[in-house]
Amino acid sequence: MSHRWFLPLLGYVVFAAALLVVPPILGDNVFLLNKFSRYLALALPAVALSLSWGYSGILNLGQGASFGLGAYAIAMHLKLVASASNANGLPDFMGWNNVPALPWFWEPFHSLGFAVLAGIAVPVILSALLGGFMFRARIAGVFVAIITLAMLVVVNLLFIDQQRYTGGFNGMTDLAWLKIGSLEFDPYSRAFYYATAGSLIAALFAGFLLMRSKFGLVLQAIRSNQERVRYFGYDVARYQTVAFAISAGIAGIGGMFYAMVLEFASPTFMGVTLSLSFVIWCAVGGRESLLAAAIGAIVVNAIQGSLSETFLDTSQLLLGAIFVLVVLFLPRGLGGLIDDTAGRLRAIKQRRAAEAARAAKKTDAAGPGVAQREATP
Amino acid sequence: MTDLLELKGVEVSFDGFKAVDGLDLTVAEGELLCLLGANGAGKSTTLDLICGKTEPTAGSIRYRGKSITRIPEFRRSRLGIGRKFQVPSVFKELTVEQNLEVARSRHPGVMRNLRQLGVRRGNRLDEILELVGLADRREVRSEYLSHGETQWLEIAMLVMQDSQLILMDEPTAGMTIAETTQTSELFRRLRSRHTLVVVEHDMGFVRQIAERITVMHQGRVLAEGGVAEIENNRAVRDAYLGSRGIGHA
Repeated sequence: MSHRWFLPLLGYVVFAAALLVVPPILGDNVFLLNKFSRYLALALPAVALSLSWGYSGILNLGQGASFGLGAYAIAMHLKLVASASNANGLPDFMGWNNVPALPWFWEPFHSLGFAVLAGIAVPVILSALLGGFMFRARIAGVFVAIITLAMLVVVNLLFIDQQRYTGGFNGMTDLAWLKIGSLEFDPYSRAFYYATAGSLIAALFAGFLLMRSKFGLVLQAIRSNQERVRYFGYDVARYQTVAFAISAGIAGIGGMFYAMVLEFASPTFMGVTLSLSFVIWCAVGGRESLLAAAIGAIVVNAIQGSLSETFLDTSQLLLGAIFVLVVLFLPRGLGGLIDDTAGRLRAIKQRRAAEAARAAKKTDAAGPGVAQREATP
Repeated sequence: MTDLLELKGVEVSFDGFKAVDGLDLTVAEGELLCLLGANGAGKSTTLDLICGKTEPTAGSIRYRGKSITRIPEFRRSRLGIGRKFQVPSVFKELTVEQNLEVARSRHPGVMRNLRQLGVRRGNRLDEILELVGLADRREVRSEYLSHGETQWLEIAMLVMQDSQLILMDEPTAGMTIAETTQTSELFRRLRSRHTLVVVEHDMGFVRQIAERITVMHQGRVLAEGGVAEIENNRAVRDAYLGSRGIGHA
């Protein structure tokens, strides 16, 4: 295993271990634990964005759509569970909107398995369709950002508009807790935290392997120089579409946890503000590393949380300032800074070694003593 | 020798300007063809037409007897057409060996490449790195390479890609005399396995490698023939070489 593997992997392992020891440290402070669960749920879309933006060069401003679709999918299930004792088992908001019976597309959401599957599959399919169309047409760069943002707004408006089926502006509130068998996941419990942390860790390691597969290598090559990759025989559009869809699936999982931790789903989950926040977290942490993006999401949210407690109105301003500073001075984020430094050191080290070897060759005739002196940096 | 590539009556116009105007060109299997011509003669556009970067407005392009006139770049590459660009284009953020791994593209499918982890090391990679003198730079990110090394890396990528037909746009641009000589040696080795079409300005280099030269002028073929034949061709002298003096270009 070369250092290219070892050091990053070590980072992931340390991060995973750190996540696991959070609950014992927090002890009985369940409110803080719930907050941490929320941060971890928000780290998932940041990781997803790092996959598509950082590694594949697809700036998806509409990640919130996938996130929101995931959230609504699980919320539909949990709403049905919570409404079991109502007349016809109908969710409260449907009653207020004079919906007489449960719509057909709500029926399968009685099944948790279906809801989870839908929370992943719907964003994946939607993104695959959109991506397939976009990338075949060779749309790139800022136009991808515009199209994905437009898609986000469309999905968002659709959910707000269909109040009878989605709860409109209010979304779906008073959700039940997730229950698997006899195990109930209270969002203030350690079990819930570990489920969230486990999903984040799984996504990180899967993404780590994915990006170190040849598939990931080709994606990075596409980001670097799309044109060139085509002349090696790769179907660039297909690679981009797959990356875009995988990213959407991970964001969907994040959305599911987010709805569960907050115990409601709202159209703000697929709002422009949150969707752009994903981009900020990703940029601050460093979009070219999944781990950095995750840490970026957690750190920015933690800062935001504590700032808003202290400064109330100015917290957004401070956050904006942080983002501006990062973009100006650390365009590749904190992770990029570390990576750049390491890369530069490695190049210097190799060059020195090569020069030393050359010097040793040249001075062979002059005796080994000279070569030795020159070889020591 | 059979014809590997055949262009017939090919035309390209950009906003009414005909960059290539009724071009007929055939390349036989195993041949090394040099394309010469003044700036704007349509040489690079010709390479673009063959690899699919540019679509012709008229005419047809056949590869191994099959029409490739309208198929996308990546499919042409899969048929065995490789391209080196005038501006060295490698993947800057990737290391030397990662660049070569991407170039190893016999299996370009998504599913297969999801299953392969990292760079496949082995004799072939070592050989190619040795061939272009980048063996001790294999783990360096290619943005830290010198200009010459970058040129070599891209050539190495083409060797790795192992295309039957290799299109090279000014492979020696920006190289020192020693590097140019090295390149011509490499070309001789490539000759045994590949068919090459090379756009080149450096007459010295052309003399070292070429057997057959096609001179282009204003989007058409002006003359074809051996090195000596072309150098003595009056029309060529008038149109291109004469203006700057032969061998000086």
